[in-house]
Amino acid sequence: MCRPGGGSSDVQWCFSQVKGAIDDDVAEADIISTVEFNHTGELLATGDKGGRVVIFQQEPESKNQPQCRGEYNVYSTFQSHEPEFDYLKSLEIEEKINKIRWLPQKNAAQFLLSTNDKTIKLWKISERDKRPEGYNLKEEDGRYRDPNTVTTLRVPIFRPMDLMVEASPRRVFANAHTYHINSIAVNSDYETYLSADDLRINLWHLEITDRSFNIVDIKPANMEELTEVITAAEFHPNQCNTFVYSSSKGTIRMCDMRASALCDKHAKMFEEPEDPNNRSFFSEIISSISDVKFSHSGRYMMTRDYLSVKIWDLNMETRPVETYQVHEYLRSKLCSLYENDCIFDKFECCWNGNDSVVMTGSYNNFFRMFDRGYRQDVTLEASRENSKPRSVLKPRKVSTGGKRKKDEISVDSLDFNKKILHTAWHPLDNIIAVATTNNLYIFQEKLN
Amino acid sequence: MECAFDAQNLISISLRKIQSSRTQRGGIKLHKNLLVTYVLRNARQFYMSKNLSQTQRTHPYEDVAAVRERQEYLELTGSFTELADDFYCNFTGAESDTWHCGAHQPHGQPAEVAHQDASACAMVAPSDSDLMVSEACWSCADKSSWELPIPNTQANQKTVLDLDTHVVTTVTNGYFHSDCCAQPKQPQGAQCYAKKRKMDTSYHIVDPEFYLPDFGPVPCKRMRSEDDSHSDSEQLDSTNISNLISVLGSGGLSEFVSWQQTDLEQIFAAQTICLKHTLLTGSGWTRAIEAF
Repeated sequence: MCRPGGGSSDVQWCFSQVKGAIDDDVAEADIISTVEFNHTGELLATGDKGGRVVIFQQEPESKNQPQCRGEYNVYSTFQSHEPEFDYLKSLEIEEKINKIRWLPQKNAAQFLLSTNDKTIKLWKISERDKRPEGYNLKEEDGRYRDPNTVTTLRVPIFRPMDLMVEASPRRVFANAHTYHINSIAVNSDYETYLSADDLRINLWHLEITDRSFNIVDIKPANMEELTEVITAAEFHPNQCNTFVYSSSKGTIRMCDMRASALCDKHAKMFEEPEDPNNRSFFSEIISSISDVKFSHSGRYMMTRDYLSVKIWDLNMETRPVETYQVHEYLRSKLCSLYENDCIFDKFECCWNGNDSVVMTGSYNNFFRMFDRGYRQDVTLEASRENSKPRSVLKPRKVSTGGKRKKDEISVDSLDFNKKILHTAWHPLDNIIAVATTNNLYIFQEKLN
Repeated sequence: MECAFDAQNLISISLRKIQSSRTQRGGIKLHKNLLVTYVLRNARQFYMSKNLSQTQRTHPYEDVAAVRERQEYLELTGSFTELADDFYCNFTGAESDTWHCGAHQPHGQPAEVAHQDASACAMVAPSDSDLMVSEACWSCADKSSWELPIPNTQANQKTVLDLDTHVVTTVTNGYFHSDCCAQPKQPQGAQCYAKKRKMDTSYHIVDPEFYLPDFGPVPCKRMRSEDDSHSDSEQLDSTNISNLISVLGSGGLSEFVSWQQTDLEQIFAAQTICLKHTLLTGSGWTRAIEAF
């Protein structure tokens, strides 16, 4: 039985696998844009800027190598979205996959939702390892036989064949978003889901594609009065009536769908007062929330802004209960980061299986883990240099003072083109998936 | 001087970002552009206050108290027809529901002028020579100038950036003055506006949602104009749009909307949105985009 994710104090991480091209010349279409484990952790889905979805499946643990968890191998690859052109608005719609969300498994097939800026699709991923043979009216190659030549009848039978994984679009949810979709979230009722763009949130039924309910609308009557946009939205893991959405102003609003059809009035608003000592030209940018995630327990939620990760208790709106600085040394570099657009990067965050550790990405292919219990944090790096099988990752440190120690890296040496925006943690085990620009790294807990 | 240049640089960078966003694949990113306008506003606010403090230092006989008491509101006008003649920027935020300084406002208290503490600047380590010179350098700011509500000693004032030369200049009543800190401002025919004018847009807005087939057509909104006397229109020379972008201050999305307008004009050229290309008097390079 897999152990739940433990604290970082006693966990050593080692390299397991890396997926993707080794070539330094990165094709834009291959840039990974989302990573998501399914509910059991057996499947790992990635989406990229080219509109492709690649699903990896974990191999069963080998009896010969009990120390090593099963590897993830490619299970299915399909083109989810294609580039489109809105002729009316003369706008191109990117095929980039913004989010993937798995549906809980109900039968042999797997289902996931994938979305680009405008359209959400429900995909069915099913296996076929048998095919029928012995048709009376068809040849084996599929050509129809002349009925006059049929002299005997036989019962078709199933014969085994090489495993084939098929992905087919079962639903297309289109034409409901004027602005760019940034989030999709499946409800715990497993019948509905929400999609959020910059100004609106819509509620869908998984079976109904031609209509959706608008449940949040922050678009002002006069667009010139717009001061904030929606940046992320998520359903509560247990309460099917509750969802939250974050804004570019650094606020999180929790809404109860039982209160009214249109949830413009929040039930709770979570906001931390800004520290006036930290005020700068870029205060609004760095306070914008890029991701929000409920804990598995449903009691907490985590938000990510540009410099920090905050843990909120849903029972306290005035301030977060925990704040972790991801890369505070970047505060003095905001002007440069603004010029090279890095300040607009949207980092995601994730919980481990038992909500004791949170993880998020940074620059230079660094990613950070914060142990909530032991109040410890660690910086690790996803790089090809550390990609020997089962090699233990060495903690990294960024030097912020004048004197740099031996294994430290100075802030000025950080490569801001190498960024980890998307991370995912196995729901049950200490296995993490970390996406660099075009590579997917899988790390596991070192087992003795 | 250096910090004013930093703000000027930020303004230039921000406007370039907005301009480049128009040609990005996937359309204009609303979120990003909104954030850029906040930087624009902050930089412009700093720049204007810096200029004001310079002006005050060169006018030792001016009654500072009188200046403070005047409490002129510089208000951004959303009316493109008035852009060339009449430009305001609302700095106080207390009475404008469109102004938002971004700083946390204590509940129940009126919004104040964004108080930029001189100590609140992003500290730049001396060894960070690789950093841009234009790192936010508010430590240079005269703190007193921040605390001053920014009076509009010169109404109809507009900060304008020429994208060709990247020079930021203050335009007053159609006359521009080169923004050298040492040069005092020369108000010309300035009118004092005590009353805040509502942001008004006298142009047809066709909401992007108009074309959502599933939701049905949304009627075009025609905003009334207080001075709706413009009756002629010209087709905008889209290539000239990039020659000048007026820095629109104030809260929120004014600037982005102006770009949205210019974007929409390509789409709705045959319809009701027309952008007027006006040449400001006395200055060949300052051209305002007007719509009616």
